[in-house]
Amino acid sequence: MSKRVDPDFKRRLFKYGGSKEWNECFHCGNCTAVCPLTEQGFLFPRKSIRDIQMGLKDNLLSYTDPWLCYYCGECSETCPRNANPGELMMTLRRYLTSMYDITGLSRRFYTSKWWEFGYIAIIFVMIILAFLIFLPLRPDAAAMINDSGGVMINNLVAGMSPETFVRIIELGDWTMAVIVASLLIMNILHMFKVTILNDSSTKVPFVSYFSEFRQLFLHFLTQAKFSKCEDKKYWVGHFLLMTGYSIMFALIVAVLPKFQIEDIVPWYNWQRLLGYYATIGILFFLVNVAIGRIRKIDIKLRFSHSTDWLFIIMLGLTTISGILVHIFRITGLPVLTYYSYVAHMAILVPMVLVEVPFSKWSHLAYRPFAIYFTRLKKAAVARQFEPELAPTL
Amino acid sequence: MEEPRIGVYVCWCGTNIAKMVDVEQVAREMGNLPNVVISKNYKYMCSDPGQDMIIKDIKENNLNRIVVAACSPRIHELTFRKALAHAGLNPYLFEMANIREQNSWVHTDKALATDKAKALISAAITRVNFHEPLEKRTVEINPATLVIGGGIAGLSAALEIADAGNKVYLFEKSDHLGGIVADLDLTFPNLYPAQQFIEPMIARVQNHERIQVLLNTIPENISGYVGNFTMKLGMNGQSAEIQFGNIIVATGLKPFDPAQIPEYGYKRFPDVITSLEFEKMLKSGNIKTHSGRTPEHVAILHCVGSRNNNYHPFCSRTCCMTALKFANQVRSAIPGANIYEIYADMRAIGKGAEEFYAQSSRKDIMFLMYDQRNDLPIIRRALKSEKCNLLIDFHELLSGEDIEVRADLVVLMTSMEAQENAKEIARTVGISMCGNSFYIEKHPKLDPVATTTEGVYIVGSCQSPKDIPDSVSQAKAAAARVLASIAVGNVEVEVITANVNEDLCCGCQTCISVCPYTAIHYESDNKVSCVNEILCKGCGTCGSTCPTGAIKPRHFTDQQILSQIEGMMKAVKTRLVEIESQEV
Repeated sequence: MSKRVDPDFKRRLFKYGGSKEWNECFHCGNCTAVCPLTEQGFLFPRKSIRDIQMGLKDNLLSYTDPWLCYYCGECSETCPRNANPGELMMTLRRYLTSMYDITGLSRRFYTSKWWEFGYIAIIFVMIILAFLIFLPLRPDAAAMINDSGGVMINNLVAGMSPETFVRIIELGDWTMAVIVASLLIMNILHMFKVTILNDSSTKVPFVSYFSEFRQLFLHFLTQAKFSKCEDKKYWVGHFLLMTGYSIMFALIVAVLPKFQIEDIVPWYNWQRLLGYYATIGILFFLVNVAIGRIRKIDIKLRFSHSTDWLFIIMLGLTTISGILVHIFRITGLPVLTYYSYVAHMAILVPMVLVEVPFSKWSHLAYRPFAIYFTRLKKAAVARQFEPELAPTL
Repeated sequence: MEEPRIGVYVCWCGTNIAKMVDVEQVAREMGNLPNVVISKNYKYMCSDPGQDMIIKDIKENNLNRIVVAACSPRIHELTFRKALAHAGLNPYLFEMANIREQNSWVHTDKALATDKAKALISAAITRVNFHEPLEKRTVEINPATLVIGGGIAGLSAALEIADAGNKVYLFEKSDHLGGIVADLDLTFPNLYPAQQFIEPMIARVQNHERIQVLLNTIPENISGYVGNFTMKLGMNGQSAEIQFGNIIVATGLKPFDPAQIPEYGYKRFPDVITSLEFEKMLKSGNIKTHSGRTPEHVAILHCVGSRNNNYHPFCSRTCCMTALKFANQVRSAIPGANIYEIYADMRAIGKGAEEFYAQSSRKDIMFLMYDQRNDLPIIRRALKSEKCNLLIDFHELLSGEDIEVRADLVVLMTSMEAQENAKEIARTVGISMCGNSFYIEKHPKLDPVATTTEGVYIVGSCQSPKDIPDSVSQAKAAAARVLASIAVGNVEVEVITANVNEDLCCGCQTCISVCPYTAIHYESDNKVSCVNEILCKGCGTCGSTCPTGAIKPRHFTDQQILSQIEGMMKAVKTRLVEIESQEV
């Protein structure tokens, strides 16, 4: 069955970013040859570029290739036509994120700034209103200073015990986590459908679903593939961000009552050490990326989509407001502590609700699953062409 | 004939020969051969002291035959012939033995190589005994020139020669000048309109006092040779005769007829058109389908009739860039159109072409690659529901997918082929054609516009498919050659030609049928064949065919060749006797 080429597809795709030189690619294959991550059967980025040029959308949807690329930029650096293959893969990841998303919101956010800003603004206002109406600052807040001179952070809300306040915040955090996780799980099921089930030529051996499962955790935790890119500094920066962010997430969701405590503990206590590590890791990454995107020297940071900047700004503001909460607490300024806490929540929540299920951070799930699905595809190919090597029960 | 007195000179060529051939021993032994007066060896025979040595020996020892054993005669035969002439000896009383390329460079055993050198030199010595003095001849050049073909190449050549003050007869077989270029809209790669340069050229040619344009005319019955060609032609009912000294063939090309390729449905589908038909459409400024609609999808199909053994094996060289030019023109005329370049290899040849390709690839054109050798696209009519006229199916090579492309208008980039009357013209002017019916140049690298027939030049696409700048360059190169010969006023002709011993000729005319240069004619009065020594190239074909031995090429007589073999065998025999005596 012939596939029909679609010259309009690229017009839709390039709302997701990309550089204007994309069509200069004449398929010399240099990008595939220099990429340390391509392997037999997954000859990105050339194959994906071809399908973009020809508008073969169904092919692109069935690929896991864009997720196997970590954008070291080597292909773009060495491309003889300056077609920026690396940026095309980045564009494809944004596009695929919106295609996996069953709510359709991701597509709206990527292709319209107004949708994205509006969504963030609504959640921002809702969080602020929720605090002001249901968790207002107590009139005698200025007195909420403990023995060591720090602010009693859980005691700043009028008519509410510290335990209840922490429980409410913890409940809110859990709600957010559950919403985000449910959306991600649905999107991953959709990704499974378009990459594995819809591809009639892929017949995955049943046993492979189990034998390859540990790959998911390995790559989720280590980004081992990323470390195969020639320039290791990106992996290090990413690892700092990823661990910093994971620690922070665990502290505020899993162990909030132990993290958000009334006493100002000495600096060497685990709560503070972990908090400092996470803050430094995130800040280090943010500053580097922001400078890189402004200077446009590093090829992988040369092309910035509006969502890239929004992410940097949101994470930056979240981090800064978090730092302010901490500073106001230890210097004994209860009113400022309360308002910076409200601001912190009002930025953090919409950021998580937009980035994780619908935008950039969805890759935390798509990348390891793409590696898992890729191994399934390989097992299917092995069964088809080298049956003696295929796994059996 | 005076007694031969032979001088033999063995060259060392530095160490090139001397390291593998015992040159002193060879020179010593050659001195013992009959008629050899002097035999010497020297470091560089071709150097001035080497040549002076030969000249001095000729004068002092009254030598009348010279053999030099050195490199290939291709390199230094002329050098030594000149030295002989300096010494007052006829330059053809000379023979060269190649003991470098054919000996020292290719062998590793010094003793055997030395033996081989002796055999080669011995052959040259016995041959040179029978050399005869030959005299150079010159013919006067008629300054008028015949240019065949009124396309851009013919026009350029005609103007160049006429501007230099010479008469030009310009023959054009159609009823107008300008050729293919006159049918073009813009030209690649700078999108310059063809009209702007071809029309002033045509006007200048038509008004040139020294150019006589003959439209609807094909040259016939050319006789004569370089410098003095004659043609009879019937003009206005009365016969006339024109004379000219040189001929420039600029007959150009014919577009391939794509109706031969069944897959493309040319003529069956009115919206499948050729590149020249599309040029006409572009010139009219109105890109429309046959039903008058503005096409939404325009497909441009490359290599139609090119690079496919069923049609033409060669590349037509200009179609890739013309196709990109089309894409650019469609993009400006219909900004929203979907443009597909269905190509085999993108060949961006020539100045500005690669840049043009890079620029074009930024214009939202879909490039699709097909296999033009084995897997041609198939064009079929689309259903009403498809909202396009035609569908093109093929295997896309860069993606490995079988794909379908929608098209409202398909432009076939037809190849160039030789003119239908290429063979007749070739026969009329006495030049040869390659397997693809393009004319063959004298030397593909060093003499690309001359032919093996003196005074006949080939320029433009009749030699091979060419773009405008290359055709014009060739035309001007040929014009320079013609003007140079006019400036000299006469031309030296080949000395080594065939000649007929009329007493032996039986008049069978076999030689006439085999001569590739139409240099032999039959004289019915004496009933013998007669060689036109100016047309003859001395190839020897007639000599080897003649049943009575009446026709012989000079400098390659049977006696000369047989004696050469004899000399070589004598040396071999001497060596064999030596070996036998050693064994005993």
